[in-house]
Amino acid sequence: MELDALKKAAGEFKALGATFIAISPQLQTYNRELREKKKLTFEILSDPGNQLAQLYGLKFQLPEDLREVYLKLDIDLPKYNGDDSWTLPLPTSLIIDQNGIIQHGAINADYTVRPDPEETLAALKKIVG
Amino acid sequence: MGLQEELNRLKNGIEAQAPKEFVEIMHRATADLEKSGILDGTVKVGDQAPDFSLQNADGQVFSLKDLLSHGPVVLSFYRGKW
Repeated sequence: MELDALKKAAGEFKALGATFIAISPQLQTYNRELREKKKLTFEILSDPGNQLAQLYGLKFQLPEDLREVYLKLDIDLPKYNGDDSWTLPLPTSLIIDQNGIIQHGAINADYTVRPDPEETLAALKKIVG
Repeated sequence: MGLQEELNRLKNGIEAQAPKEFVEIMHRATADLEKSGILDGTVKVGDQAPDFSLQNADGQVFSLKDLLSHGPVVLSFYRGKW
């Protein structure tokens, strides 16, 4: 669902001269599966062990009781991510200008609240405008 | 309907079906994460974005530096397929 919204937004980012890139800790094979299933037009890059997320201050570890819940719901993070760190990135959207400076950021601690691509798009229009 | 509205509907649907104790654990984990101060330690507007070289699904390497040579970059951190 979120990816469908991002797919739509990615075309609009491109029209404004920007590149949309998704970053996920999951193994390449799952990113490939996702790309094919959703016919994605943007790149999903693998961030093994959430090392880049850590560099951006976005990495967090799931508590023990939540890990058990995830396993019961068949969300096997060690399988998907290829490591047993039980870490994830905070859902985040950033706009980086050509000098490498972050010009806009939407970061949530609540994973059920995702950055709205429409808001990111509005911010990008102001930045490139 | 906006993305967040759709996500809220999905969330409410999942939470209505999941055992109550699962939902409580999920809510507590989110509240603890918010209280942990993690948001104080993230990158901020005005910061230099740390460079990266990461592989796409085919093993092709993309660096932030190269991507920026074509224009601004919108970077989205995403947990996964599930």
